[in-house]
Amino acid sequence: MSASRILAVARRIAQGFRRDERTLGLVFVVPIVITLLLGWVIRDSEAGDVRIAVVAAEGSPIADALRTAAEDADLAFEVTVDDVADEAEARDRVRDGEAEVAIIVAGLRGGPITVVTEGTDPSGDAARIGALQALMVRAVTTLLPPELGIAVPEFEHETVFLSADADSLDVLAPVFLGYFAYFFVFILTGISFLRERVGGTLERLLATPVTRGEIVLGYGLGFGFFATLQVLVLIGFTLIALEVPAIGPIPAFTIGLGVSSIGSPALLFLLAVLLALGAVNLGIFLSTFARTELQVIQFIPVVIVPQGLLGGIFWPIDRLPDILQPVAQVLPVTYAVDGLREVMLRGADLSSPSVQLDLAVLAGIALFFVALASRTIKREVA
Amino acid sequence: MHPSGSGAAVEAVDLHKVFGPIHAVDGIDLALRPGRIYGLLGPNGSGKTTLIRLLAGLARPTAGEARVLGTRMPSRPMLARIGYMPQAEALYPELSVAENLGFFARLEGTVSRAAMDRALELVELGERRATPAMHLSGGMRRRLSLACTLVHEPPVLFLDEPTVGVDPALRVQFWSHFRRLAGAGTTILVASHVMDEADRCDELVFVRSGKVIAQGTSAELRSGAGTTDLEAAFLHYAGLDAEGRPLETAP
Repeated sequence: MSASRILAVARRIAQGFRRDERTLGLVFVVPIVITLLLGWVIRDSEAGDVRIAVVAAEGSPIADALRTAAEDADLAFEVTVDDVADEAEARDRVRDGEAEVAIIVAGLRGGPITVVTEGTDPSGDAARIGALQALMVRAVTTLLPPELGIAVPEFEHETVFLSADADSLDVLAPVFLGYFAYFFVFILTGISFLRERVGGTLERLLATPVTRGEIVLGYGLGFGFFATLQVLVLIGFTLIALEVPAIGPIPAFTIGLGVSSIGSPALLFLLAVLLALGAVNLGIFLSTFARTELQVIQFIPVVIVPQGLLGGIFWPIDRLPDILQPVAQVLPVTYAVDGLREVMLRGADLSSPSVQLDLAVLAGIALFFVALASRTIKREVA
Repeated sequence: MHPSGSGAAVEAVDLHKVFGPIHAVDGIDLALRPGRIYGLLGPNGSGKTTLIRLLAGLARPTAGEARVLGTRMPSRPMLARIGYMPQAEALYPELSVAENLGFFARLEGTVSRAAMDRALELVELGERRATPAMHLSGGMRRRLSLACTLVHEPPVLFLDEPTVGVDPALRVQFWSHFRRLAGAGTTILVASHVMDEADRCDELVFVRSGKVIAQGTSAELRSGAGTTDLEAAFLHYAGLDAEGRPLETAP
């Protein structure tokens, strides 16, 4: 094993990178743009107005009570309440998009209440119906005689980690760091190594005294270096929130997402880099099974997408169906996601057994693929 | 390393290489002496490239033995003392001329800046150091590939069709450099299917269908075949008539 030959391979990769503006853009600009868009969509999406069409018996106070409750309640969206003559018109309004919700009250005392929604936006409907239930309780309470002394309880929401007003960006941003690094490094190494195999340079390398291990480690070092820079840029972008004041016609804006992290950035970095090293060698390994660059791209749905779905990024592992749980347990992204969240959201450090396990598994996976990748280089002498 | 009894720098003893049904190298014996240039001549598909790959330790023989400087190939440490120029130039298109050369130099071991400069001057790419390989012409890429092969100044050179796409003036320079290297003791095996380069070699090895059909100096081979034309001599040793038909069936 010669350090100078490993460095020569790594340096060759860095030199190639330097002239490839497109790839540099892919590695450094695209993840920031995607994270920025994600942050924008999650943080600044407007909760749409909710127009409620109420059908109730003549003289029923329910619509008025609901209207008052909506004004009093502190809601994230605007609620307007309209009285509608009959059920058919209420349903038409929902169908024609003139109302989001129709409420058909059969009777005030214990009768069923029918809620009609348009139906193609289940998660929006769930949020609206949840808010509506709270409004209804509030409205009904105001109709009770005051001497009963019944008031609507107010909830004070507190959290152990993060803050009560944390949004899904705070939970997604940490794991996107790792996932981006994994994705880009895998694609770049896969294609780069395929070019070595197809372009004859690998065969030419094997006519020099370089060993297979030196080639694989040099690749790890070269691409690991860029993955490291990428992770640093992304961690920085995720954590900082630099307010830029308005200058002339340019309005004030913020650089960075300002996601709060209570853990050590160094530990985040270590987790992301170990994940990326695994991806380098997975890329080398899988390039054996590709003949063209298109075929490397064809590995994306096989390697990258399942890890995105099952790795705990969007749905916690323990909520996955029983059959899929063991699958999730063998995916590298699962351990990176867990580790990144432990550190960033719960402030875990190296003393946490869960973080220790994540680091150990990621290191193990990286080593396993180093060994596997160097096996795929066919050579008569080691 | 055991010094070879025969004094040969490169040896093949009953060398065989079989790919499935194809017998690419079929029992070749060779002994190349140091400081000489050998021409490996034969048509496409005659097994020249496979023979070179076996000698350079890039493939393992199915049977028999290949030795370089007394060491049985394949041997990784011996690769630092061999220069191998493949038929298709293996360069990194996005790397500059100097970066390509420096990369191969570092893999072969530490190489002085002077050696890299000498290699670049020889192939007349000194002015093109910073040009990415993808912007070079075909002939320039061929020259850069040769520079990468020579940069560590190995005592044994295997060159697979080194002058394809190189213009005649530079070809002459290539050959005079090969001659200088041989004069300094380098053993050179040049594969070619161009017969007009053969006269520049000290000795020729005719191969056909994985077998050596004749070996000797150009003059020996021509007089043995009773012709002044090397191509005719090749056909003679291959057992073919002037039209390339087997002699037995000729009228």
